[in-house]
Amino acid sequence: MKDRILETLRDLRAYALAKGVETAFLYHEEDSYLMRFANSAISLNTNEHLVRLQITAYQGRQRASYEMITALDKLDEMQEGVDIAAEMVQHAQPLSYDPTIPVYAESFSDESGHDPALATFGNPERLAFFNQAVAGLETDEIQLSGIFSCGANTIAQINTRSEQTQYFKTSDAQISIVLSHTALKWEVIAEQSAQQTADLDPDGLRRDLAFLLERYQQDAPQQIPLGAYDIVFGPAALGDLLSMMGYVGYNGGAMKRGYSFLREDQVGQRVFSPRFTLTDDPTRRETFPFRRDLMGMPRRPFPIFVDGVFQGFIWSQDDADEFDAQPTGHTVPHTSMVMQGSDVTASSLQELVAMERDHDVLYIPFLHYMNVVNPSKGLVTGSSRFGALLLKRDGAVVVPYNVRLTQSLLDIFGDRLAWVSQAQVVANTSMSYGARNPRAIIVPALMQVNGLEISHSNPSY
Amino acid sequence: MRKQLQEQIARLRDAGALYVDARWYPIEETNELLMWNGNLKEATASRESGVGIRVLYKGAWGFSAASDVGNLAALFDTALDNARVAAERVTFPVRLAEKDAIQATFASPNRTDPFTVPLADKLAFLQAMDEKLNQPGVSQRICALTFIRKQIVLMDSEGSEIEKTIIEVFPSLEVMGLDAQGMMHSRKFNPTRMGDTRGWETLDMDVFSANAERIVREMNEVLVAEDCPKDVRSVILLPGIMYLQTHETIGHALELDRILGYELSYAGGSFVRLSDFGTLRYGSEKLTARADATIPNSPGSFGYDDDGIPTQDNLLIDRGLLVGAITGRQMVEEANARAGRRIFDGSSGANRATAFYRVPIERMTNINIDPGDDGTLDDIVRNTERGIILDGDKSWSIGSNREQFHFATDIGWLVEDGQVTQVVKNSTYQGETIPFYNSLSAVGDESTWEVCYVPNCGKGQPNQIMQLGHGVPICRFDHVRIGE
Ligand SMILES: [Zn+2]
Repeated sequence: MKDRILETLRDLRAYALAKGVETAFLYHEEDSYLMRFANSAISLNTNEHLVRLQITAYQGRQRASYEMITALDKLDEMQEGVDIAAEMVQHAQPLSYDPTIPVYAESFSDESGHDPALATFGNPERLAFFNQAVAGLETDEIQLSGIFSCGANTIAQINTRSEQTQYFKTSDAQISIVLSHTALKWEVIAEQSAQQTADLDPDGLRRDLAFLLERYQQDAPQQIPLGAYDIVFGPAALGDLLSMMGYVGYNGGAMKRGYSFLREDQVGQRVFSPRFTLTDDPTRRETFPFRRDLMGMPRRPFPIFVDGVFQGFIWSQDDADEFDAQPTGHTVPHTSMVMQGSDVTASSLQELVAMERDHDVLYIPFLHYMNVVNPSKGLVTGSSRFGALLLKRDGAVVVPYNVRLTQSLLDIFGDRLAWVSQAQVVANTSMSYGARNPRAIIVPALMQVNGLEISHSNPSY
Repeated sequence: MRKQLQEQIARLRDAGALYVDARWYPIEETNELLMWNGNLKEATASRESGVGIRVLYKGAWGFSAASDVGNLAALFDTALDNARVAAERVTFPVRLAEKDAIQATFASPNRTDPFTVPLADKLAFLQAMDEKLNQPGVSQRICALTFIRKQIVLMDSEGSEIEKTIIEVFPSLEVMGLDAQGMMHSRKFNPTRMGDTRGWETLDMDVFSANAERIVREMNEVLVAEDCPKDVRSVILLPGIMYLQTHETIGHALELDRILGYELSYAGGSFVRLSDFGTLRYGSEKLTARADATIPNSPGSFGYDDDGIPTQDNLLIDRGLLVGAITGRQMVEEANARAGRRIFDGSSGANRATAFYRVPIERMTNINIDPGDDGTLDDIVRNTERGIILDGDKSWSIGSNREQFHFATDIGWLVEDGQVTQVVKNSTYQGETIPFYNSLSAVGDESTWEVCYVPNCGKGQPNQIMQLGHGVPICRFDHVRIGE
């Protein structure tokens, strides 16, 4: 299949060259499977096979794109797309800068992230996985929801500047399992991310769910008082907070457009806690990494914060072109963020609960519907969901109704950061809007931040 | 193609499927243009076509979709196979509410199909707007145009065949600027419904020019304004934020699939229970809300949903009392059975999919608030002791059961003793859904009612984007926390 894809791209390149159109092609193919559960049944079982082609035409400073969902054998249709892009670019207003067209010095191919067994994990296997992960946990009142999403993703590129090609193929799975009480309305979750079948661990999911269920079945939920709490964030919450930082923090283009809480003069300065180190690390296979960016730049570990000190902004090629900056290999569908662990050995909720403590601790595994209230301040808001716990100083465990946090990322990752786990886990942050684009962030299993105010506390679910 | 689809549908029926439908998109086109500070950052056109197959077998759904329709039989077989596996884990066998077999067509109203307009004309419009926005105080100016045209052919095993042609136009203007402390502020113009058609003709240069001037002026007022106080006040929501309040805390809360727990693994549930229909006082007597997919010229009016049900006008909240929900064929049957009473009398025609490769789910149509009898904005302000007028959706975050919310707006105007006193920046408000709607104390008249469009409502797994509308008046709510 790879040969056929690259051959088609070469045919398209030849067609564009013959037409005299400067063109870049991006081919995307996904094979997506999703089994969805609700009310303890399979509510949807779907698969989609989609081929997308993006054709970008250039004419000096003019640029225009044509995208299509098509099929590999429809060369005529794709060539028609080249004609349309060529026509569009004639009318596009010139940019105020020169857009860089990639020149691939050599062909690059990376299929190391593709495990055919995971990509084609079958219907019976998906169902068996779920049955094992929730074995004995469902009742008439405690019902199963969730997804088993898996598939394969192929990206291939060529352009008229060079004959060389780029080819990336990955497999991925994202698993979420929710158990909820139909009458009482509480919900608990366990999640898993997989790049290969060996990453799948239904028993691990079952262990986490069983532990939470035990807490939730013992204690009646309560509204907890407003005020400041020492909060321990779980992997999903931490992954989402770091995703927010990607939008309003270290992105050079966002900073130049006034949509960041970081300034250029903060490079080299301490912005966050010395416990905070964040690296874009494409050597970590769990992040479905790109080892070259779409411009052909080799990607290596790129430190963004080291011991709280800001190392520099990341720049996509187009932002670098516009703002006269150096691109950093960040013209990619997604980055490979890794937050470093530190010295606390607790690496699971079970171990957190068992830890001795001299203050109450609020455990928040998941933040629902986070949004940016004020980008210049790094101010974000979101609500707890899926199994929050208030761990009392005396060892008691209280089940709280959901609470809202409205806080600055500067405070969350700043001097209030008390500790992070040594052990890292993978938080799958994939969405399936548009083309398949599996992504994950590697985070310490737990992170405690002291003295964070909760701005709202629910009286019920 | 239609004949082949009919044959495959019949073949799967013979193989034991309870219901089969095919949504064939001969073509869906989009055109997205984005000009940022005068740079044409995006000039993209797209085209897709394909077919999605939905099969109900032994009470469970299977779905498959492909852009390559070369082997239709295999595609139908895959959907049936997926349903067969799903049938191994059924708790409430899917039943579909009764419907009539319908042969019909629908076309959204437009005078000039935007896909017939030359690209040069579209870019000239953006450039003219960009020049209008290029004023002192403005550091970022963003002008965007999105056009959508899709042709959808729905065929099912119950004899329906419906063809829809939908055209959408979504323009927007936005300016940003930095205040003296270097903090960024923004102001937007997302035009509301103008006239009875939604083609290229809706891009009225005079209207856009006037609003471009207005958002620049208002943003500059925000840049020199004081911070919104941390306080408890009456909030007067203009349609530019009232639409989103309605969307998030009435619309999503009343989607029947959320109420029944079908979205718990992603979008969330609802605080509403089946026992609440007919009993829950959702809001004050002044609150009447409806799902009206029959108003002309809105993305929430689409003729027939993807179950083939004609669009309707249904009450959701009748003078404060919860009476209805946003429903499709599957969910009403399950809700009635679970409740042990007939809450819903058939589907309300709100099952829609974003593309051929996604399955239909309950989506909002036009979730509207009826106008009231409290007059104009001036009348409402005159009768407000301590309040704040809010407009512009800057940020929104809602609890997973839609039970509480936090919104930030582009701009606020403080009201003291019936007078507007000053503009404030960083305006926010938050509350709990039921107490909030029960504090609704004034609803503007017909002259304040506007239909706002939502181009990008997200829901479902795999994720889906949907376009819809909200007709809302100016509303005042009392005792609301602001400035946090
Ligand atoms: Zn929405």
